[in-house]
Amino acid sequence: MSSAAASSPATGGVGLRRALMRNRGALIAAAVLAILLFVVDWISAGPLTYFDVSFLSSGGATSALAAIGQTIVILSGGFDLSAGAVISLVNAVLASSMDPMAPGASIILWTAVGIGVGMAVGAFNGFFIAVLRMQPIVVTLSTMFILQGVTLLVMDKPGGFVSPDLGTFYLGDAIAGWLPMPLVVIGVVLLAWFWLKGTRFGTALYAVGSDPDSAASVGINVVLVRFAVYVIAGGCYGLAGVFISAQTGSGDPLVGNPLLLSMFAAVVVGGTRLGGGQGGPVGSVFGAYILMIVVNILLVLNVSAYYSTIAEGTILVLAALAGSISHASVLAVQLRAARARLAAWRAGILPSQLERVDRRLKIAEPAHAQRNPASPRPAFHLRNAETLRYALPAYVCLLLIVVVTQVWLGRAILNPGYWNSLLVLSSFLAVLALGQGTVILTGGLDLSVPWTIGISGIILAGMVNGSDAALVYALPVVLVMACAIGFANGFGIVYLGISPIVMTLATNGILQGCALLYSQGTPAGFSSPMLRWVMTAKLAGLLTPIVLLMVVFVVAAVLLLGRTPFGRRVYGIGNGLRAARLSGIGVERTLILVYMLSAVCAAVVGVMLTGFSGQASLGMGDDYLLPSIAVVVVGGALITGGRGHYLGMLGGVLLLTALQMLLAGTTLPYATRAILYGLVVLGAVMALRERRLQ
Amino acid sequence: MGIGSKVRRLALLAGMAACAFGLSAAQAAEKHKIFLSMSYIGNDWQAEAANMVKAMAAHKSLADKVDLQVQVAGPNAQRQIQQINAMVQSGAEAIVVYPISPTALNQVVKNACDKGVKVFAYDAEITEPCAYNVHIDQLEAGRVTAEWLVKKLNGKGNIIAITGVPGTSVDDQRTKAAKEVFAKYPDIKIVGEAVGMWSQAVARTELSKILATRNWDDINGLWMQVGCFTANSMQLEAGKKTSELLPCAGEGSNGGRIQMLPEGTEVEGAAAPYAPAGAQRISYASPPYSGALALKLAVEAIEGKDVPKTTILPLPLVTNETIKLCDEGTWAEMKAGCNAFKPSLVSNPGWFASIFSDQTPEVGLNAALVGQPEN
Repeated sequence: MSSAAASSPATGGVGLRRALMRNRGALIAAAVLAILLFVVDWISAGPLTYFDVSFLSSGGATSALAAIGQTIVILSGGFDLSAGAVISLVNAVLASSMDPMAPGASIILWTAVGIGVGMAVGAFNGFFIAVLRMQPIVVTLSTMFILQGVTLLVMDKPGGFVSPDLGTFYLGDAIAGWLPMPLVVIGVVLLAWFWLKGTRFGTALYAVGSDPDSAASVGINVVLVRFAVYVIAGGCYGLAGVFISAQTGSGDPLVGNPLLLSMFAAVVVGGTRLGGGQGGPVGSVFGAYILMIVVNILLVLNVSAYYSTIAEGTILVLAALAGSISHASVLAVQLRAARARLAAWRAGILPSQLERVDRRLKIAEPAHAQRNPASPRPAFHLRNAETLRYALPAYVCLLLIVVVTQVWLGRAILNPGYWNSLLVLSSFLAVLALGQGTVILTGGLDLSVPWTIGISGIILAGMVNGSDAALVYALPVVLVMACAIGFANGFGIVYLGISPIVMTLATNGILQGCALLYSQGTPAGFSSPMLRWVMTAKLAGLLTPIVLLMVVFVVAAVLLLGRTPFGRRVYGIGNGLRAARLSGIGVERTLILVYMLSAVCAAVVGVMLTGFSGQASLGMGDDYLLPSIAVVVVGGALITGGRGHYLGMLGGVLLLTALQMLLAGTTLPYATRAILYGLVVLGAVMALRERRLQ
Repeated sequence: MGIGSKVRRLALLAGMAACAFGLSAAQAAEKHKIFLSMSYIGNDWQAEAANMVKAMAAHKSLADKVDLQVQVAGPNAQRQIQQINAMVQSGAEAIVVYPISPTALNQVVKNACDKGVKVFAYDAEITEPCAYNVHIDQLEAGRVTAEWLVKKLNGKGNIIAITGVPGTSVDDQRTKAAKEVFAKYPDIKIVGEAVGMWSQAVARTELSKILATRNWDDINGLWMQVGCFTANSMQLEAGKKTSELLPCAGEGSNGGRIQMLPEGTEVEGAAAPYAPAGAQRISYASPPYSGALALKLAVEAIEGKDVPKTTILPLPLVTNETIKLCDEGTWAEMKAGCNAFKPSLVSNPGWFASIFSDQTPEVGLNAALVGQPEN
């Protein structure tokens, strides 16, 4: 920015172009928002008045403020899942501590309280992430559970009181008839951000996000920057919590939780790259408003209820596509590459068209044949030190949990029923962990898991309808459908260049719509006797058949990731996309296969859940999204890809399931359970700390 | 045909056209613009309630009067606020809403009321005084079911409680009321408690977790907001006889109702566990017809009739003494006292069977299943 201002008139054009390029994401998001506003204006009955704009501005403000915080975290290379829970907590704290009898409320005081609560949570996150060097996704996921518990302790049901003074201030007009207050609040936060960005700290933040090692070696205090980032972001969520309190005038302990996923969508639509170093909060603000204005468009177009999630998903993909239109976009690159391949094929110079001669270097013998018997293979624990270091903690904690269960509830270690239940209940997440885990190994994320599970179960139950014979064709149909879903995800990500989070989030919405349309709101049919037998019968009174199948599955999964070319390609891509491509890995094909694997795993879980429950229901996959990510990370995988072992993930699955079984056996209140759950997860991954930066 | 007759015919046609035009204009003016703002539609209850609202709007008594538009807000209160605002902007006369939060919508609802829009909340409540509320008494639901269970157990025994979605008023009221009852009987012990999220699937996983360290034989009764059908199925899988099924106070799913029928009853389409088992049950529910009734009341309110701000629906309770199988599921038949539906008609056992109300003769089984009103 400053370079553009300082440049001489002769180079002004270049400077301007550079400034435009640097802010392309935000500019395109702004353009998309403008187009959408125009569309709303055009298709609705009356013209857009100041009143409409004022409503819109307050409607999107909470998301926008929270998205600013999330963007700053993402710019630093982090990830914050606790954002929605902070908003709920601030809302609950304000609503339960304001006195309805008091004549007026101090706006400054209560705003400070809200921001302060947010910053305190941010400091908690920051301590574990920056000082103890733990993975942001696990820390903030644990924080999310802990906060949900704390919020319920503060306020166990909707109610409370937020002074109308807050509402009058935050929702009023800054300049009557011209400028609504919410826009001013967002503007002030953005100005503060611009100031911050210009300081040394701002530069350090981008540097840490781009490459922490280089940042550290040029003398940036990486720990301090990271810590500060979470505190600042916490402040933003806190302000968002204050805003929603002002807007609703009361408290609801669940109000912020559903904002989380759309917040990520807002950040990505706004042009910020997940993984850090590129983008900025301005775009995220536009992103948040784009997502909000979709509500109005659906209303004006009178999109039927069942189609609304499909429409939203489509709009999300289109917005993301619009944001990536440029010469350098993935789509353009892919098209150019295809053209080049076509030209090469015409000219007959494609590698496959050339004469095949073995041009490999003649290295005498494979290395292992020459091993000197005097230096034996290193011991198992040395060869697999890296894997063990990351996979073992989950198993150690599992052992602890089982012992605690035995002491507290009795009837665990020597009770075969306990182990059988543990394995049966783990089987769902164990299957999901392979799919989600493989996606995470490549550095992606699959958010379409919930409704892939849902639609698979619903279609299977509808086709099977209690007949074992029908299972023979229903199962393949469902699996083929899952392949198609995974292919669509992979295609969008690889060839259209849409970020995995946005693409799979959109797919999830579209699948939800399809499931509703297919079932007309009431899923028909039920599981066949055989499927139910597999999931619920007890062989010899002890062992459920699915446990035996799980053993086979685990062996197959370990072999798939550890002993096949596919597995090696997955790790290769996760460790470095460019390096993988240059070493001749078919990155596109592998990635599409990875997303297909994930969708198939989700479909299998849908089938298993249908057998387990006896029927399929809408929303039956909803509770499996965050756990599927959590187990992968608790099992030692790196969320940015490239590191992790399936056995570690399996350990994560068993640990979390055993923990839930322990908590379910107690009569502790739900809030306490949520807090304990969060603390144990946090404790379990303490051992997974990153090594100190050199 | 002479010229005279032609002219006459033309005049006649013109007259008819004018007539028709006048009529349609009058009709258009009479049609009330009503919006339905739903919450998350990804579960059985919501979809069923939406079907019934649509059926109500399509019934011949309302079809000429109502222009209904349905919108979904998802689980996000913020979006519902935005949606209701947009509905007011586009000229709604009434808004029927499933409130995601009882408190978060207060400001926007007040705004709508100030503009003369009637806001009707169904099932859950909106605490803003200007809103109309249509729901059951959740405290009563918790109390009555707990009392039934205590009586069945003669005031003594170990029970398991499966609650709803933590942090909602409905769950809070039901659970609190039930626990107050249990607290009066020192010999009644809650030995396990889990969050069931009002879903049969979640109820099964939670029960499986509890039973990993416990035995069915250590338990004497079950109090659940949703999940009796599942609990009974699990006991049958564990090798219990139908006569040994534990008493269960819980939801009004059709699967649970069918299990309440005496064992051996001939029921078309029944297959275990979705079959008569003589299970000892009290079945209650938040009835999914509340949205349809809210719509009907909204039209009455627009037409100037006096509608009370709060309509407390009678709590639909079914016990083994009152259970009765429906033949076709028409409103008239339900009026005569039937309250369970054949699996051949309702293939989803989790489907909510409390669809009868004295006040809604417009909607029967077909309304809840496919959005088709009664004749």
